[in-house]
Amino acid sequence: MIKLHELTKDYGTTLAVNKLSLNVAAGEIYGFIGPNGAGKTTTIRLMGGILAPTSGNIIIGGLDMAQNPVEAKQMIGFVPDRPFLYEKLTGMEFLRFSADLYNVRHDTFPQKAQQLLQQFALADWADELIEAYSHGMKQRLIIASALLHDPRILIIDEPMVGLDPAAVRMVKDILKELAAHQTTIFISTHTLSIAEDLCHRIGLIHKGMLLAQGTLDELKHIANLGEARLEEVFLTIIKENTFI
Amino acid sequence: MNTILSLLRPRILSAINGLRPNNGKSNWPRFFMYGSLGIIFWTGTFIIFYRVLFYFQSVQDFGDILAMKLISMLIITFFTLLLFSNIINCLSHLYLSQDLPLLHSLPVSSKKIFFSRWIISTFDSSWMIVAFSFPVFLSYGLIYKAGIIFYVIFLAAIIFMCLITSALSGILVLFGAKILPAGRIRTILIILGVAMTLFLILVLRFTRPEQLVNPDSFASVVLYLNSMQTPDSPLLPTTWITDTIKAALNGEIKSCLFNIALTGTCALMLIFISNIIAQFAYFNGFSKSQTTPKRLFAPVKYKGYNWESLLNFLPRESKAFAVKEIRTFFRDSAQWPQLFLMAALIAIYIYNFSVLPLDNFPIKAVYLQNLFSFLNIGLAAFVLTAIVARFVFPAVSMEGEAFWIVQAAPVSIKRFLWIKFFLYYIPLIILAEVLVVVSNLLLRVSPFMMFLSTITIFCLVPAIVGMAVGLGAVYADFKSENPAQTVTSFGGLLFMILCFCLIASVVILEAGPVYYIFMADIRAQSISLLQLIWSVISFGFASFLCLLAFFYPIYLGEKKLGIR
Repeated sequence: MIKLHELTKDYGTTLAVNKLSLNVAAGEIYGFIGPNGAGKTTTIRLMGGILAPTSGNIIIGGLDMAQNPVEAKQMIGFVPDRPFLYEKLTGMEFLRFSADLYNVRHDTFPQKAQQLLQQFALADWADELIEAYSHGMKQRLIIASALLHDPRILIIDEPMVGLDPAAVRMVKDILKELAAHQTTIFISTHTLSIAEDLCHRIGLIHKGMLLAQGTLDELKHIANLGEARLEEVFLTIIKENTFI
Repeated sequence: MNTILSLLRPRILSAINGLRPNNGKSNWPRFFMYGSLGIIFWTGTFIIFYRVLFYFQSVQDFGDILAMKLISMLIITFFTLLLFSNIINCLSHLYLSQDLPLLHSLPVSSKKIFFSRWIISTFDSSWMIVAFSFPVFLSYGLIYKAGIIFYVIFLAAIIFMCLITSALSGILVLFGAKILPAGRIRTILIILGVAMTLFLILVLRFTRPEQLVNPDSFASVVLYLNSMQTPDSPLLPTTWITDTIKAALNGEIKSCLFNIALTGTCALMLIFISNIIAQFAYFNGFSKSQTTPKRLFAPVKYKGYNWESLLNFLPRESKAFAVKEIRTFFRDSAQWPQLFLMAALIAIYIYNFSVLPLDNFPIKAVYLQNLFSFLNIGLAAFVLTAIVARFVFPAVSMEGEAFWIVQAAPVSIKRFLWIKFFLYYIPLIILAEVLVVVSNLLLRVSPFMMFLSTITIFCLVPAIVGMAVGLGAVYADFKSENPAQTVTSFGGLLFMILCFCLIASVVILEAGPVYYIFMADIRAQSISLLQLIWSVISFGFASFLCLLAFFYPIYLGEKKLGIR
């Protein structure tokens, strides 16, 4: 469902992503972990069509992002790491705006929007300006808007930042349920416990390169660790710069 | 004092770091452009004032009175400008900047934060006035053959004036933040906008400059001279500053020292008072400004009517953007004062045409009316450029950090830019045509001039709006705290210069053919073949320039935003 081939992003002064290749299948939850400045957010932004790659290809649901950006983006629900929104719109107006851009059917929108607002505990705030929302509420609103058009692929950068424990649990449950219904989910996170709990496979990026990827057991094997937590695996691989 | 310096250091270092090459790109073109513009304005101001004062000198007795009155008027103008500029900067630096929560989390007293911010605000508000008052007073110094002491005294007086206005603004803003309800701090801006508009309209109404061309109004010239010599109130700082400069010019040391001492002590006292007030009021006001702003006006909904349905003819994505743009624009209270000012500018523009004493001019009226009408094309286009620079050029930057939504949405950047274009183009073409048609009706111009004006504006508006959207995208700043200020950036200045060149080129290209056609019409003759060819080439080239300005910048903007 997601295919990255030799993806490279060079900012001129920094090589943020260096010949990154990976595949994510339909219904899979793929966790993307790495230290600060490893290239996670750049990769996510490249996949979301927000940045143009220096070289390489991004194939989304069989479509090349460079050739068919509009059609490819139609399949994606994108959640950035920081919840910047149009502060002068209300929550409901923002959902309507997203629905119009992603061509959500007019007849299903009101019900779908209400359902998502209820699910994300924002129903009481639907008619308030977004500038009055807390960080966590904005994050929940962005996730709700990303789910509005039933995307086939969900790309999320740091999904749990700013969320309270109840919201973290709720988001985790939603993501599992979506994956069960064949939605492909690509998550970048610093919270290793979330990657451990949620992801079918994990990719470890460092200095723009994919050092290792696989299930948790496969990563333990790569790191030559027996019954270890992901944290130890992460630190070992980063330290040894183990390549796949 | 060390703490204050530490608090100022980020600003100073940011300014120094701003001089470094940006991502390998040299800053020299930027410096060259700003430097050149500065030198042009500076030299222009000097030449104009030198010539005016030189002329005044040639008029016995009356010349000196006029020159001294001019100083008084300049000081009052500078003082008013500084006051407004300081209030806006104080508001922004003391209550709205994004780094304030970080500053207030530091183990530093709020009084010190206030003082450091006040210094930055004073500098930001004053440097331009100080820089551009130099050529004015340099011309005074040269004409009156003043010594070096005049320049020293003048510099001290101007600096004290900046400090007085800044301290007064600080006190005003501290009280404003204390009195106004939570989250309403921005409302001060609206009140200011309305006050400024009223001030402008009143000044215009009462001065009636059009009477200057009426010889009957010169009957009481003695009364006029007397009024010019009436001293200003001795209680006002503007009077002390004016008297300081006048005394320095005339070499009256005692009077000069007395007035500069008055001004300086007033400045120091006001700074002291503002710091005392800040000690008690600043943090509370800041804390209030951090609470969630409530909507100033509750949303009005009429049963069965929704204004959005007026946009149903648009494709769905375009309508979504249009609705978003309109809502965010009108809900942003920082835009309102600008709207009021623009309304005032347009009102003054039309009013000026309505009071032109066309029947009193000694030159043949029909010629003059049509000449004005032709020049009016350029003037209306410049007024439009000012409006476009303020509202359309920052339109892409106004997306701010939320621009990721556009980038991630299944809408191409090209389409996004064209939606922006049409959103602003439609109201602006209506405004520009109304401006030109109304002023032409007031001028009672010929049908040919009416036709030419409306067609030229019809071609210029898309070109100006296209350039604003395109260059606004090329030079977009999504991280700016105040995107509306992008118009003062390199890109904004480039846009203004290119617009000026475009309008000037179109007017110059049309001038020759218009003259031939107009004169042929008056003489009831037909134009020659050569004149016809010239006209076709001129109008053709003007149209080509408009088309180029219309399409090419948007294409550049699309390319720039696409490769981020």
